Amino acid sequence: MSLRIGRLAVTVLLILVAAAALVVPPAPAAEDVKIALVAPLSGRWARQGQLKKMGADMAIEEINSQGGIKALGGAKIVLREADAGDSVEKAVSAAQRVLTREKISAGIGSWLSSFTLGVTEVAERLQVPWLTLSYADSITERGFKYTFQTSPVSSVQAEQALELVTELAKKNNRPIKKAAIVGDNTAATVFFFKPLREKLLAAKGIELVVDEVWTPPLADATAIAQKLRATQPDIVFYGATNFPDSIQVLQKVKEFSVKAPIQGVGAWLVTPEYVKTLGKEMLDSIQTVVATHPMKGQEEIVKRFTQRTGEPFMTQDPLCTYGHVWLIKEAIEQAKSADPKAIRDALAKIDVTSGPAATSFYPNRIKFDERGRRVGATPLIVQWQGGEPFTVVPTAVATRPVAWHK
Amino acid sequence: MVVAELAQYVATGLLVGGVYALMSIGLALIFGVMRVVNFAQGDFMMLGMYLTYFYALAGVDPLLGALLTIPPFFVLGWIVHRGLLARVTGGGDPQRQMDAQLILTLGLSLVITNATTMILTPTPRGIRTAYATQAFTVGPILLNEARSYAFAMALVLAAALWLFLTRTDAGRALRAAADDPEAASYQGIDVRAMHGLAFGAGIALVAAAGGLLATYYPIEPSVAVNFIVLMFVAVVLGGLGSIPGAFVGGLVIGLVQSLTLLALPFQLQNTGVFIVFLLVLYLRPQGLFGRRARTV
Amino acid sequence: MPSHARSWLAIAAVVAFGLVLALVLQERYHHRVLTLVFLWAAMGLAWNIISGYAGQISFGHQVFFGIGAYVTVLLVVKLALTPWIGMGIAVAVAVLAALLIGLPTFRLAGIYFGLATLAYPLIFRIVMDWLGYQEVAIPMMRERPAWFMQFSEPRSFDLLALGVLAATLVLSRAIETSRLGYRLRAVKENEQAAEAMGVDAFRAKMAAYVLSAAPAAVVGAVYIHAILFIVTPDAVFGLLVISQTLVVSLVGGIGTLWGPLIGAAIMVPVSEVLDSTVGDRLPGIQGVVYGAALMLIMLGAPEGLYWRVRQAVRARAERRAAPARAVTLPPMDTTPASAPTSTVLLEVRDVWKAFIGLQALSEVSFDVREREILGVIGPNGAGKTTLFNVLNGFLLPDRGTIRFRGETVTGLRPSGLCRRGLGRTFQVVRTFPRLSVLENVMVGAFVGERAVGRARAIAGDALSRVGLGDRADAFPGGLTTLELRLMELARCLATAPRLVLLDEPLAGLSTDGVDVMIAMIRRVRAGGVTVVIIEHTMQALLRLADRLLVLDQGRRLAEGAPAEVTRNPVVVEAYLGKRWLARMGTPAC
Repeated sequence: MSLRIGRLAVTVLLILVAAAALVVPPAPAAEDVKIALVAPLSGRWARQGQLKKMGADMAIEEINSQGGIKALGGAKIVLREADAGDSVEKAVSAAQRVLTREKISAGIGSWLSSFTLGVTEVAERLQVPWLTLSYADSITERGFKYTFQTSPVSSVQAEQALELVTELAKKNNRPIKKAAIVGDNTAATVFFFKPLREKLLAAKGIELVVDEVWTPPLADATAIAQKLRATQPDIVFYGATNFPDSIQVLQKVKEFSVKAPIQGVGAWLVTPEYVKTLGKEMLDSIQTVVATHPMKGQEEIVKRFTQRTGEPFMTQDPLCTYGHVWLIKEAIEQAKSADPKAIRDALAKIDVTSGPAATSFYPNRIKFDERGRRVGATPLIVQWQGGEPFTVVPTAVATRPVAWHK
Repeated sequence: MVVAELAQYVATGLLVGGVYALMSIGLALIFGVMRVVNFAQGDFMMLGMYLTYFYALAGVDPLLGALLTIPPFFVLGWIVHRGLLARVTGGGDPQRQMDAQLILTLGLSLVITNATTMILTPTPRGIRTAYATQAFTVGPILLNEARSYAFAMALVLAAALWLFLTRTDAGRALRAAADDPEAASYQGIDVRAMHGLAFGAGIALVAAAGGLLATYYPIEPSVAVNFIVLMFVAVVLGGLGSIPGAFVGGLVIGLVQSLTLLALPFQLQNTGVFIVFLLVLYLRPQGLFGRRARTV
Repeated sequence: MPSHARSWLAIAAVVAFGLVLALVLQERYHHRVLTLVFLWAAMGLAWNIISGYAGQISFGHQVFFGIGAYVTVLLVVKLALTPWIGMGIAVAVAVLAALLIGLPTFRLAGIYFGLATLAYPLIFRIVMDWLGYQEVAIPMMRERPAWFMQFSEPRSFDLLALGVLAATLVLSRAIETSRLGYRLRAVKENEQAAEAMGVDAFRAKMAAYVLSAAPAAVVGAVYIHAILFIVTPDAVFGLLVISQTLVVSLVGGIGTLWGPLIGAAIMVPVSEVLDSTVGDRLPGIQGVVYGAALMLIMLGAPEGLYWRVRQAVRARAERRAAPARAVTLPPMDTTPASAPTSTVLLEVRDVWKAFIGLQALSEVSFDVREREILGVIGPNGAGKTTLFNVLNGFLLPDRGTIRFRGETVTGLRPSGLCRRGLGRTFQVVRTFPRLSVLENVMVGAFVGERAVGRARAIAGDALSRVGLGDRADAFPGGLTTLELRLMELARCLATAPRLVLLDEPLAGLSTDGVDVMIAMIRRVRAGGVTVVIIEHTMQALLRLADRLLVLDQGRRLAEGAPAEVTRNPVVVEAYLGKRWLARMGTPAC
């Protein structure tokens, strides 16, 4: 009996391994330029990885249908995606794998800042330029030469976001006197809250009345809602990156009829699943700070995106990878080479203010400083209106006027 | 005011604990009867949430939907036991086979989570219910409606299980098989069938718990990671294999989570749970409701 | 069982093979997989020390892995201290943590212990987040990379990981062949029996825990530098670490150093192959296939691949081997006459013991004199076995004192009593089923002997004395009841006891068997050992005992010479019954 099962097990295993070996990636034409995308495509963050891939795919299709890379005689771009899974080990393995198997010209990824930290280490050692949307300051504090960060880093984001928000509140005759900090202690949130708590709020004369930070998963949000109701802050800085936690908080806020405006810190708050789970009424006027979001003038891109993917709208994650692929294309054009070192040098010198790459980030200029941070990078404020998130600040690129919380 | 606030903390804790309790009794039943530590328990809960979600799409109220997960998941549990677990646990010596079953259920958990992610996509879903954001007002205390319904249903299901175990022949046979499989088989009890019954019931209960959870908690393939550790803590806290123990264990965890906030920073909430867990085990190594193992 | 030299040779071969792979492989990614195999094998081996050898399944072993990682990295970040030194500090911290965790947690047994250990890494994970160590990246040291364990040549990491693996293999092998190794296996197989044979189970487990914490910390430190380059609480204290450890160990088979090695050599590459082929094309499928593979392996080899293969090899060998032999009775020497002395060896005074709702022993007092055979009789439930359990330390009396060789021993653990010369056997023989007969007896021999070789000699001698010399290599499962009882007696004698407590040693034996056993017990006494024996068979006890102690409902009913006691009307009333009285007209011996 058990012998039979044993033999069966071995047979099935052999078949599985053989099947695995047979699924070989199709061989690209010789002159193709290969770009790596390392992002979580399975596991608990698979959704984010899929969104990133959608943006990259769209950019590549556009580039290739417009004649490819002109400097390389119309060479096509192909994407090599590697699944970062749900652990740093898998993410770094994926990077190692994809970067050593083939000649990769440049890479993009990996969403979670801990993944990005590990993956860029590999890219640095193998000398492949790497573009990331991750915010963490530490990514570009290690003196790496091959890492380029297009998003404003967390510490700067907090300062800029506070500036934008206080300005906005003043304009709406609701100056901010009392603020609340509510969120989890994942890296992205922590690095945003830290400067707020330590100096920025005090510098603006704003009193911090609630400071509640939890370790995900959140068991229950009653205590948070109670504190918010008791203190009535003028603004709630809100960072709940774990979707179920966020849903619980927003439901409780409604249950306790808390009236404070919610100012999120990150793009996790403007995904389509929020509408499906909470309904558009509950979301209205909730706003958040993001690294980028479709801006005025990008309507065409958004339309193409929603048509090809079936997503109701476009958000930071696909827009970033879309811009990154276009940026790599620009760099290759300037370097006139698919060699990663040449592309890295081109990226270090690049200064573009138009085209799909530049318009995907605010302000519409891409130039990196010696650390690899984008010069002048500023976050946007996005607001839920009628079940869709629109860019509302800065007004120059806003797609809707802001509707301040009543 | 202070009293009212404390009462709110206690009420919140108990409501949160109610669903932990229902999640945990399924696990306790499986461990108590089969000595199986089922790592895939949380994944069956996740599947129960999805089934309730699909029921809701078809117009079934999720509270009813949660109950309706019981029959299909009982059958699923029975099949999983027959096809997989019975092959490594058998009816005989439970101690020796522990190891294989750990990896077996770990593998099962990997298969379920990943297959669900692939088939149903990783995008979170939610059942929108009015009661998720409404509360009953009892004096100064707010009791969330969804959690109150879930708590009541958890009580009913736990009571039903308890009645089944103590008042029916099948239930008594199940307990006999749990206490001493060898003696039970001499009395003509089909131990393997009893294990199938226990596994099926254990899976059905956790699926129903998932259904109740889904009335206020979003559904995603990886949702189990948020609960699986707490389930085990509840079961061990109550005394491994004790059904009332697991129920109380679940309530205790909810209470501790809530009351910890009065003493520790929010971030350390779950350390409160783990510290209480360790303290209880040091003081009562057999858990709150467990029987002390015979020494000789 | 392979000889020592063969095992060391096999370890050397494994390391040499690893070395060859490290030198031959070209692609960086392959080196990474190789490093992962070495590291997870080492982690599995570390876990195997406490969970395999000692049988204490731990779900929280990543706590030491995480301590190794965090201590080393924080020392680099905060003090720019090289990880080569940091690792040593990390090991010290891990050992300290093991002591602090083990001290309270080994109060728990079995699955309770396992699940309790899970709480520690989860607490650490939360606390690390709270302290603000969400993501600690290792700063790149471009000046002295090797000093900071930052190699650009992937082979260096292979060799480093291989070194860790080799050291863990050597440690495991050393434990397997040491007194501690035998004791751990005894504790795993039957903790009660091990305690009765002088093994301080708590100390043995603590030793194993500390020894398994140290390599886990080293693996954690190297893992961060070679594999992750960054440390996050979830990556080192999270559940993925322990599930990977469980997978490599249980798939390979636990309780042997080859198991985790086989498990890691198969499962790590399988996982990577799946990731790099199907996984990147159809994300998620690698998890499904990997999970299915785990399930299939466990269905086919529930105890792990190593044991499955070994079992198959054994079965083939045994088919060729000769069939079982007939039982040889021990040769009978002429027994020198021996009489009890008047010295009191064991003094029991006013012992009480109650269980919930049952007074098991009340006011029990008696003496055992040197070199006598004292029989304890009484109806079922009279408290005979409870008395033994109190005497050898399994149970603590509620009241009363026990003095052995002039020393008050009340409250000592069985292992302590055993070391003072008090041995016992059990009503139902308690063997260590996965140890050979000789190894079973060696566990007893280790009471007085630290060296394995000499313990083996003592055990062999004890076996020949009971006539089991040629069954030394058999396993308890293949023994007859008589042989099992003799083996248990030999194991008890190997502890060099002054007094032995024999709990129904004649139960279940044939008439011939009873004769053999009685002769054996007489010889034990002739060798200067005092015997206290519980027996149901009155006939046999009358042949054997110098004096009888009668218990009834936990009280001492009578004490004295057999003839005297059996005529005592109270005893006859309470225990023997009137029909016996009629038959007692003629003395039995």
